[in-house]
Amino acid sequence: MTLGPCPHEKEIAAMLASGQWPHAAPAELRAHAATCRSCAELALVTSAFRAARATASAAAPLVSPGILWWRAQLRRRNAALERVTKPILGAQLFAFSICIAVAIAFAASHAAQGLSWIASLSQLLRPASVDVAKLWPSSSGSAFWVLVPLLATLALLGGVAVYLASSEEQ
Amino acid sequence: MPLESILPSLFAGEVFRSAALPAELPPGALMGNEAFAAFYSRSARPLWAYLARVSADPALADDLMQESFVRYLCAARPDDGEVAARRYLFRIATNLLRDHWRKPRQASIEEIPEEFFAAVSSSAQSDSRVLLGPALAQLTLRDRELLWLAYAEGYSHKEIAEVTGLASASIRLLLFRARRRIAALLRDQNAQLGLQP
Repeated sequence: MTLGPCPHEKEIAAMLASGQWPHAAPAELRAHAATCRSCAELALVTSAFRAARATASAAAPLVSPGILWWRAQLRRRNAALERVTKPILGAQLFAFSICIAVAIAFAASHAAQGLSWIASLSQLLRPASVDVAKLWPSSSGSAFWVLVPLLATLALLGGVAVYLASSEEQ
Repeated sequence: MPLESILPSLFAGEVFRSAALPAELPPGALMGNEAFAAFYSRSARPLWAYLARVSADPALADDLMQESFVRYLCAARPDDGEVAARRYLFRIATNLLRDHWRKPRQASIEEIPEEFFAAVSSSAQSDSRVLLGPALAQLTLRDRELLWLAYAEGYSHKEIAEVTGLASASIRLLLFRARRRIAALLRDQNAQLGLQP
């Protein structure tokens, strides 16, 4: 099998590309193509493909380019939006995991006090031993842990109320 | 109904402008609607012809052509002229076609490509006096791609290598074999029909 092209192939290819083959081709070139297998194949295949291209191009059902352009814009915007929102989502997940960790740590550190409180509550539920004074922790350390969250909640609610009032004024 | 059709004004709004059009966006992606329409009018028909003939499925060609243009608009590539842009478009289409071919085959609702083309225009076929479809159907996808790019689009070996992703050195041999194969098929077909080659 030889892969060396026939020296006339380029000439015939140029005439095929310009639509001059075979009518405007020199007689000697046509005679050569009739005897040269490579050139005959080139002419046969190229004219078949060119004709098929012309036929298929005429049959092409085209949509509006505006629709495709809009679809591309939308896809780009969605991709950009995804890029922007990804770090935000990551930050939210991080904050949520931190909250969970703090809650677990808090619960673990106060588990002992909670258990004792539950035990005292079960004693209170007995009808004979209902004593309102027992509901309030007697020790100063326990009072501290009740007062601090209460004050913090009040401060938070106060801040929210001030913010809402000021935003309404604006 | 997709979200994009419900909320076009929202997606086109200022909220998304800064995120959608960053400074590093490539020139190809910033192609305006009018510039794209001009490029589309010159490239769509050849691209559809390529896809329809190589896949032998006009419906698939419709889908892949639209997807090719959308991906072309979204792609990050330098603005290096229309010839290179068209080559890039053909490359996208070729990759999409191969991806489709790798998927499990599904029955197409349009299995009559040759008749479809013949119904639209019979003059060109009578000029060439060959029906390419049956001959093409006997070749591999790669051979069909190579032959179409070389003989219908007139691409050089280097350009074909760029479009198909094959090694430039192997294009010549592959094309030689594919041409020999389809020439034999066309000659047989013409002989059966009693046509002169």
